[in-house]
Amino acid sequence: MEPSRDEILFATLESLRPAPSPAFAAELDARVATGFPRESAPAASGASRLAAWARGLRPRRIVLAGGATALAAIGVAAVLVASPSTRVNIDTSGGGNIEAGPVVSGSESSAGAPRHLDRTPKQIEEAFGAAGSGKPTADSDSSSSNGAGVEYEASAPTAASAGAAAGTAEMGSAEAGINDQYAPSSGPYASQAHHRDVEYAAEMVLGTEPEEVGDAAGKVFDAVHRYGGIVLDSSVSGGSASDAGAEFELLIPSAKLGDALAAFSRIADVRSRHETSNDITAPTVTTAELLQDSHARIESLLNELAETETEAEREAVEAKLRSERRHAAVLKSSLTNLQRRANFSHVSLRIESGAADSSSGAGGWDVGDAFHDAGQILAAAAGVAIVGLAILGPIALIALLVWLGNRAWLRQRRERALG
Amino acid sequence: MSEARPKLLVMGKLFARSSGVNQALVAAAEEAPAAAELAFEALYRSSRDDVYAYVASLLRDRVAAEEVTATAFERAYRKRSRFDRERGEPRAWLFGIARNAALDELRRRGRHSELAADPEDLAAATVEESAVASERRLAVTAALARLEPRERDLIALKFFAGLSNAEIATVVGVSESNAGTKLHRAVTKLREACDGAI
Repeated sequence: MEPSRDEILFATLESLRPAPSPAFAAELDARVATGFPRESAPAASGASRLAAWARGLRPRRIVLAGGATALAAIGVAAVLVASPSTRVNIDTSGGGNIEAGPVVSGSESSAGAPRHLDRTPKQIEEAFGAAGSGKPTADSDSSSSNGAGVEYEASAPTAASAGAAAGTAEMGSAEAGINDQYAPSSGPYASQAHHRDVEYAAEMVLGTEPEEVGDAAGKVFDAVHRYGGIVLDSSVSGGSASDAGAEFELLIPSAKLGDALAAFSRIADVRSRHETSNDITAPTVTTAELLQDSHARIESLLNELAETETEAEREAVEAKLRSERRHAAVLKSSLTNLQRRANFSHVSLRIESGAADSSSGAGGWDVGDAFHDAGQILAAAAGVAIVGLAILGPIALIALLVWLGNRAWLRQRRERALG
Repeated sequence: MSEARPKLLVMGKLFARSSGVNQALVAAAEEAPAAAELAFEALYRSSRDDVYAYVASLLRDRVAAEEVTATAFERAYRKRSRFDRERGEPRAWLFGIARNAALDELRRRGRHSELAADPEDLAAATVEESAVASERRLAVTAALARLEPRERDLIALKFFAGLSNAEIATVVGVSESNAGTKLHRAVTKLREACDGAI
C-alpha cells in the first residue's frame, strides 16, 4: 500500500527537523542536573533582587497579600477609632461654645462630668476674674475657655443695646452707691472693674419613668421655692412614655444656681446639662456712667432753674430738665434690667420619659449603644478603606495599564520580528 | 539523559504524546518541591530536542539555537514555581518561553530568519538516502521558504516541536479553533507549494 501524500509530506518534514549536537545535549543535560548554577553572574544588587522577587510573585499571592494588608489597615483604623484617647467631642454649633461631655446620671462629682458643673456662679465668676487677658470681648464672636475649664459666651451685649430698653422710673437713693460701685472702671470692656456682672443660663434635661413625671415636677417646684427662684412658665403632661413630660422656664438667683442645679440633678437622671455665662460688666458699667452723667446734668439744670429770672427762661430749663429726667429713667431701667440679668439666671428644665436620645449620652452602655458604636467603627473603617483605595486605586490602575501596555508593546515587537 | 524521539508521522500520534507528558508533569508539580524538580526534569527530557528543533528552525543558526535553547530552559527553571496549570499545559508554557527567547534573539539581531532546514543537515543526509527523498526534501524546503513567516512558525510548532493544536494556541495567543484553522491553511499551502514533488 502506497503512503498518502500527507504522510509523505509529514515524513519529509520530520526528516528536515533539526537535531541538537551530542556535545550540546550533554552540556545542557549537565546544566539541568546542577540546576543552572549562576557561575559568571555578578552579585545582584538590592534593586535587582527586589525586581526579581517582584517578578516571581504570582497574581494569587499578590491578591492575598493585598487583602491581608487591607484587612490589617482596617483593623488598625478600627482600633484607633475605638480608642477613648482619640475621641474628641467638640460642638461647633452655637457660636463656638465648648460643650461638655455626657453627664453621668446622679453623679455630680464623677470623673466623667465636666469640672464646671460643680462650681457655683460665684466660683465661676472668680475663676473668670482670674483669667486676666482671657476675658471675652464685647465684639468678638469667638469664645475661649480659661484655665479652670469655665464655659462662657463671648457675645456680650453692647452699651447701645442696653440703652434700648424702655420704661420710666424715678431715681432712687441707691443709685449713688451703684455708681460708686462701677466708678473706677472705664473703656468699652470695663477691664478695670472691681466687680463683674456675669449673666448665667442653663439648660437641663432630666429623664424618668412616665408615671414619675408628676412627682419629679413637684420636686422641681419645691427646689425652685427652696432657693428663692421664680417659675416663669411650666407645663406638665402625663400619659404614655412618648407623651409624659414637663417643661419649666425658671429664674434662679445666680448665687444659688449651682445648688439649684444640683438639686434638680437629684430629682431624676440627668440626660443633658449645658451652662453658659455671659459677661455683662461692660454694658452695666457704661449704663451706670451714663446714668451718673445724667444725674449730674439734672443737678446742674436744677441749679440753673433756681437762678432763672424770666418765665421764658424757666420754661426752657424745665423742658431740658424733663428731657434729661426721661433719659435718666431709661438708663435706670436699663441698669435695673442688667442687674436683674446678673442676679437671676435663666434655667430651661425639661423632664422627659421613655428612651433617652442617643445624642444625650446618658444612661448605661447597652446593646443598642454597642450596635451604634460598632456602626461608627465600621463607618470609620470604611472611610479609611475608601481613602486608601482612592490613593492606591489610581496608582494600581496606572501600574496595571503600564504593565499591560509594556506587555502588548513587547509582544508586538516580537511578532514584528517574526513577520 | 538523551531520550530517543519517537517517529511521528501523523498528527494524532503527536497529540497523544503531548497529552501523556502533560498529565504526569501537572500531577508532580502539585506535590512537594522535590517532585516539582522531578517534574521539570521530566519536562526537559521530553522537550529538549523539540525545543531545539523549533528554535533552530526559527533562527537557522546552530550556535544561536543552542544558546537560545539553553536560555529558554534556564528561564523555565527559574520560573518553574510561577507555572500555573490553569493558564496552559507545561509544554505550551515551555514553548512560549522558548518562542519569546527566539523572537528576542531575532529582534536583537535585527534580521529575519528563513524557516528551513540547516544546510549541514541536508549535506549529511544525502549520503544514504535515495534521490527521490533528497528531491522531496529540497521541494519541501523550498515550499517552506515560500510560506509566510507566521505560517512557518505554525508548521514548526506542529511538526518540529510536536505540539497539539491547544498547545499551539496557548503559545501563539489565539483560540484553539483559530490555531487549528490557521494550521490547516498553512499545511494546505505547503502541500500546494510541494505539488508535483510529492
